[in-house]
Parts: sequence; structure tokens; C-alpha cells
Amino acid sequence: MPKLNFLKINGVELKSNLKFQLFLGITSVLFLFRIFISSQNSIVSELINEILITLTFISLFLYLLDLIHSKPIDPFALVINIGILNAIMFFLLTFSKSIFGLWYDQAETQISNPGILYNLISFVYSFIILVSLAIILLAFRELYYYRQKKNVSTYFNTMVVFFFLASFSGLLKNLPDLSYIKDTFFIISVLLIIINSIRISWIAFIVKKEKISLLILSVIISILFVVNLANGSSSNDHAQVIFEFSPALNQFFKILMTYGAIYFSILFFTTLFHIPTAEAFDRKAQEVNFLQYFSKLITESLDFKDLADTVTEIAIKVCNANAAWIAWKEGEEFKSLANKNIGYYDSENLTKFIFENNLEKTSGFSFIINLKKYTRHPELSEEFFFLAAAPLKAHNEIKGYLFAAKKNDISFDDEDKNAIDTFSDYASVAIENSILLEESIEKERLEKELDVAREIQRKILPAKNPKHDKINISSVFIPAFEVGGDYYDFFEINENKFGFIIADVSGKGISAAFIMAEIKGIFESLSKTIERPKDILIKANEILERTLDRKNFVSAAYGLIDIQKEILYISRAGHCPVVLIRNNIIENLRPSGIGLGLNFGPQFVNSLDEVEIKLEDDDIIVLYTDGITEAKNKNMEDFGDKHFEKILIENSSFSADEISNRVIKEVTLFSQNNSQHDDITLVILKWKQKKLKNVNLGEVPSLDGMELKNG
Amino acid sequence: MAEFSTSIKDAGGVNVVYLKGYLDAHTAPVLENTFSNLIEKSKYSIVVNFKDLSYISSAGLGVFMAFIEKIRDNSGDIKLSSMSDKVFNIFDLLGFPLLYEIYKSEEEAVNKFSETKKLEN
Repeated sequence: MPKLNFLKINGVELKSNLKFQLFLGITSVLFLFRIFISSQNSIVSELINEILITLTFISLFLYLLDLIHSKPIDPFALVINIGILNAIMFFLLTFSKSIFGLWYDQAETQISNPGILYNLISFVYSFIILVSLAIILLAFRELYYYRQKKNVSTYFNTMVVFFFLASFSGLLKNLPDLSYIKDTFFIISVLLIIINSIRISWIAFIVKKEKISLLILSVIISILFVVNLANGSSSNDHAQVIFEFSPALNQFFKILMTYGAIYFSILFFTTLFHIPTAEAFDRKAQEVNFLQYFSKLITESLDFKDLADTVTEIAIKVCNANAAWIAWKEGEEFKSLANKNIGYYDSENLTKFIFENNLEKTSGFSFIINLKKYTRHPELSEEFFFLAAAPLKAHNEIKGYLFAAKKNDISFDDEDKNAIDTFSDYASVAIENSILLEESIEKERLEKELDVAREIQRKILPAKNPKHDKINISSVFIPAFEVGGDYYDFFEINENKFGFIIADVSGKGISAAFIMAEIKGIFESLSKTIERPKDILIKANEILERTLDRKNFVSAAYGLIDIQKEILYISRAGHCPVVLIRNNIIENLRPSGIGLGLNFGPQFVNSLDEVEIKLEDDDIIVLYTDGITEAKNKNMEDFGDKHFEKILIENSSFSADEISNRVIKEVTLFSQNNSQHDDITLVILKWKQKKLKNVNLGEVPSLDGMELKNG
Repeated sequence: MAEFSTSIKDAGGVNVVYLKGYLDAHTAPVLENTFSNLIEKSKYSIVVNFKDLSYISSAGLGVFMAFIEKIRDNSGDIKLSSMSDKVFNIFDLLGFPLLYEIYKSEEEAVNKFSETKKLEN
């Protein structure tokens, strides 16, 4: 609601303006009153005079209060303001004689017949004093409240009330019998001043340099206050003018000067006592500041480099060092990071020197090394005498060390050691955070990548098995979490030719998935133009030479069934053997052949063989990847070839689907207490399945058998 | 997480690399580093001892392929030795015996290097 905000802002401005207008109004009334009416020496006019002056003072004070609170308060600036105003008053007081000497020929005589000019000058003079006093009182008030932890307004307000009472008692000038009232209020005021002045709490929080300036300033200002007080009390021209202007203001002037003299004397001694501890206090305060800043940074900055830079920067300051760096463990060696005021060459040499000579404390605490004990490395460009180091830990492991170095002769003291210890703890937390974050980002990225890889693989593999009159086909694919790169496919080339492939791409994840996609493309197109498995594999290897990375390769087995001739041709490029089961006997078809992508020369072609098998009814052809035989149980034992063959033989009378179900069930049971490391692929082809044994006794022949009969 | 580590021994100019543990896609970079370091120092006569290797995956095999070309171009070689039957079977299936010299013992493999050198001289 912008409109409302606007109004609100206006409201505040109005209020502040109002105070100023009020002050101007009252001042104008006072002015007119002073110039034209005040010459009548009646009680009433004197009272009106005092009331007007008091109102002027209060309205000015309130206006200034608003003004000063619009900015943050700096006690040092307040002290300087008090000093300047005091100096101005000092000059006014000193020159008052030459200004007012025209009207006062003798110091004792009161002015009897003031002209308009005198009234004017006296008004201006008194008004300057009034404004100065208002500002000084305000400054004292702010100094009093600054850094005050408890609610102490009662003390101050009481004091101000007594200031006013003491001031107004100045009106009793014509009644000497009652002067004890005036004295009493004055004495009480002084007592309250002393009590309130002792509560100086802000000294501790300013830095040493300012403390020293303050020491000098407080001497000068307290002297100024005393001089002004003395000048104002003696019956000189100033005192007479002010007294004539307002006896109360005259009294108030004296009180405030007393306040100043007392306050600044106490301030002087307080500061004096603070000086010896100033340095230590500064340091502690700085340390706290740095740590605060740093803990803020931990939550804000997630970049490791930024963090390291800040760590070394602050390290120099907290332990008064000349240079700092981080020795970060990479493998077995330490690398320099975030160097401050030291070259990488120097820092690495120093680090190396320390770790080669085992100068570090093994317990994981900070340590200090006196380099003067050792001869200087001739190649170091600068000489450092002392080193302080603290371990940086993450996951309870030392990941590196924070080093600080000193060029001068004074070693690190316990304070420095404590500081670097505390600081390195903070830094460790920060570094651990940033590492954890990086890890989780990396993990998320990998998971996204794997999702993509799995999606690619899912789309590449055949959505369903082809239905064939003479071949009963079954396939199972179980992807590993990390996408193993298994691939299989069927190619119904024409009525008489049926091709199939199984392949395993080396490596895992997205790179494996991309190669898989490439392999699919290659075999899908080659199967259409080339018939014999051996020729296809040779051609595929040629194509892969252009695209495959040297460390990647593909194991594959390609088979072709000539349906009319009932012949199976198999060629194998580094893949697991193709299993043929005939009459409950296993035969591993293992024609020689190097994996695709391992060799692009004649060796590949020369090594590649092709087997030719005349198929018989109920022959079973099993293709698989090593995900089956290398499936591991909790003892990391392999499922194994023998185990696999045994299950195949035992179930060879079943349909292809049933056989693969049983194999997968066994593999799953075997490896149930271990995670699946690699893709599992199992493809079973059963040739001209006729004599189908019932899966369960008494059940009608299975669907596969029915289909075969129909075909 | 399966662990894998390598160590190197200098056997009279031939560098024998001992493999230990499980060499798969996650641990393959360790072996890659080992080979890179050897090549950086122009050490091209390498025998890899498989005695303590429990398992090797296709990504592990890929490491050998990644470096062999460079090494042979510098008239060096990677010879393999002391494989368990299981590990040898994996190499054998892929046709590695046609591409690499595989020996029963480390000594045999190391000697082969000096024999070739003698022949050259």
C-alpha cells in the first residue's frame, strides 16, 4: 500500500517540521517580548520572560533530539561537538567585555536604560548561549545513554529536573534569605552529576587510537568548562548580560559548565585507566567481529575459493601475522591455496619443508615453528622467522593446514595460538559445509545423468519380443543402478532370415548409453545389407574406429538363423560364449574373436571366427551378459558359469520364458544380499519347440505350445 | 565401496605395477593415474602383476587400451602377469591374449623385456 506509506512518511516529516515551527514561533514571541516589553521590571514580566525562555529551550531540545536520532550516534563526534561549542563560548565570554563594555562602564553597575540596540545584541548573544547549552545538554544525554545496557533514564531525568529547579531558583535573586534553596538545589544537582558521570560505559568500545585522542581532548575540554564556569560566575559583562536576560539561564549555564567539568575530568581518568588494556580489548573485539563476519559468511558463501581467500585474510589479522596460506591436501601432497602476502613458490617450499621433516604435530592441534633454528632455503624470496599452523578438518580427517607466517623477531604468543585455533575450527566447519554442498550437487548431477542414461537404454532395447512361427523367444533385462551398457536386439530381416545380437559396452552411465545407441544404429543398418555374422562384426569394428574412444570397447555376439536351411551362424567379438542346449547337453559356442574397438588392424579380422550349427528341434540358444555369471552374493562370490549351466540344463524342457524366469529367480536369490553391480541380460531362443512339458502337472499346454500348433 | 590400489617396483628398468583389490569404473582412474605418471617419466617398459587383483570390470580393461598405443609407439610395452584363472578368463573372452603378452609369472614377463633388448642390441 504505497499511498499509506507516503502518508506515513509525510506524517513523520510533519511532526519534525512542527517542532521546528514551534521553536521558531516561540523564539519570535520571545524576541518581540525582549525587544519591546522586557524593560518593565515587574515580577509578572520576569515570569513570562522565564517561561518563554524555558519553552524556547525545550522546543529546541526536542527538535534537535529528532535531528540527532536520524543518524547513528558516534560518541567521539559528540565529544568533539561539545569541545567546539565550548571553544565558541570561551571566545564569546572572553570578548563579551569589548562588546558590552559600551553599556557597562562599571562591572558592578546594572544597566539602567537599555536601548533597542542593546536589547538586540543581548538577545542574539544570549540566544547563542542558549542554543549552545541545548546542544551540550543533548550531547551529554546521548553520551549518557550510549551503550547503556540497563534502563537508567530515571537517574538522568531526575538530574535534569534538578537542573531546572536549580535554574529557576536563580529567580530568587531579590530574596537573599532564601538563597539556601538555590544552593541546596545546586548541590543536589552536582551530586547527581557526579553519580551519573561515573556511569561512562562507552569508553571500552572505542579503539585504542580514539582512546588516546580522547585522553587529550578530555583534558582540554574539562579545562575549557572550568574556565567558562569561572568566567560565567564572576560578575563580568557576560554574567551580567545573561543574568539580565534570564537569571535562570545564568544559573543553568553554571550548572551545565559544572557538569562538563566533572564529566570530562571523570572521562579523563576513566580513559586513562582503559589505555593499558585498550590493545587487548581491541584485539578481542576485532576477533569477535571477524568470527561474527565469518559465521555470516559460512552461511552465505558456498564457493570454496572465496571461502579460502577469506580464511587466510582473516587469519593474518587474528594472529598478527605477515602472511598466510592454506596447504590443501591433494593426494599425498600439499598444494598452496589462497596465498596472502606470500608467493606460491615460497609457501609450497615452506609447506614441503615442514612435512618432509615431520615438524607437524600429529595430534591434530595447532603448532608453532621457529624457523630460525633451520638454515634458510636458498631459493626462498623472503625470510620468515615464525610459522603458526592449525589443521583444517572435514569429516574428522585433516584436509589441510592453515598457515600464518611472521617476518619479525617476535614469536606468536599464546593469544595468537588460541586465535588461530579458534579460527581454524570455524574455517573447518565452513570448508566442510562447502565440500558437502559440492558433493551433493555432484551427486544430484550424476543422478540426473543416470536418469537420462536409463531412459536412453530403455528406448534402445526392444519394447517386446518378436513373435515367430519357429522360434520361441524370451528376453529379460534388469538394469543396474548405474546403467551397465547391455544391449540386445532382434532383426527380422526377411521371411527366411532371423538375426539377433547381444552386446555389452565397456564402462557405465551416460557414456555407455551413448555408445549403446551408436551400436544399435550400426547393427540395425548392417543387418539389412550384410548377412553373415562375421562380416557384420568386421564392418561394425571398422565403423567404430572412427568414433570410439581408445579406452572404450564393446563385446558382442551376433547370430543369424537361416530358417529354411535350419542353420545357425554365430560370430563372437569378445562376448560371453553363446550357449547351445541340445538333449540336455550344454555346448558353449565360443568362436574366437576380439572385442569390438580393441583392435582395428588385421588382427581383429584374422582372429574372428564363425560357427555354423545345423539346428535340431528343441535346440535352445542362450545369450547372456556377464551380469548373470558375475552376479555376486554378500561374500562377493560369483554366481558362476557352472551354476548357470546347471540351471539351464535342469529347465531345458520348459518354454523359453519359463527357463529365463527360473534363471533370473536363481540369480536374484543368490545375490539378494548384495546390490546389482551390472546390467543383467538374458535372451533365450528355442528352435521349433514341439514336445512341451507341462509347467505344472494337469495343466493344459501353455500358451507358447498352442501358438506353435496354430502356426 | 570396493577398494583398489596400485604400487610400483623398479625391476632393473622395467616397472612392475601391482594391482590390488577391485578394478572397476569407479577405481579405474587410480590405474589411469599410475600409467600417466609412468609415461610422464618416459617409463614405457611396464609389467602389470595381477596377483592380488580380485576383480576387473570392462572399464578396468579399458585402462590398458587407453595407454597401450602411446607406450608401443615409444617402443615400450605393457605385459601382463600372474593372473588368477578368473581374471584371465575375462581377458581371454575379450581376446586380450591376442593383443597383450600374458605370462604366468612376473619374472617371466620382466625377463621378456631384457630379452627383446638384447635382441635389439
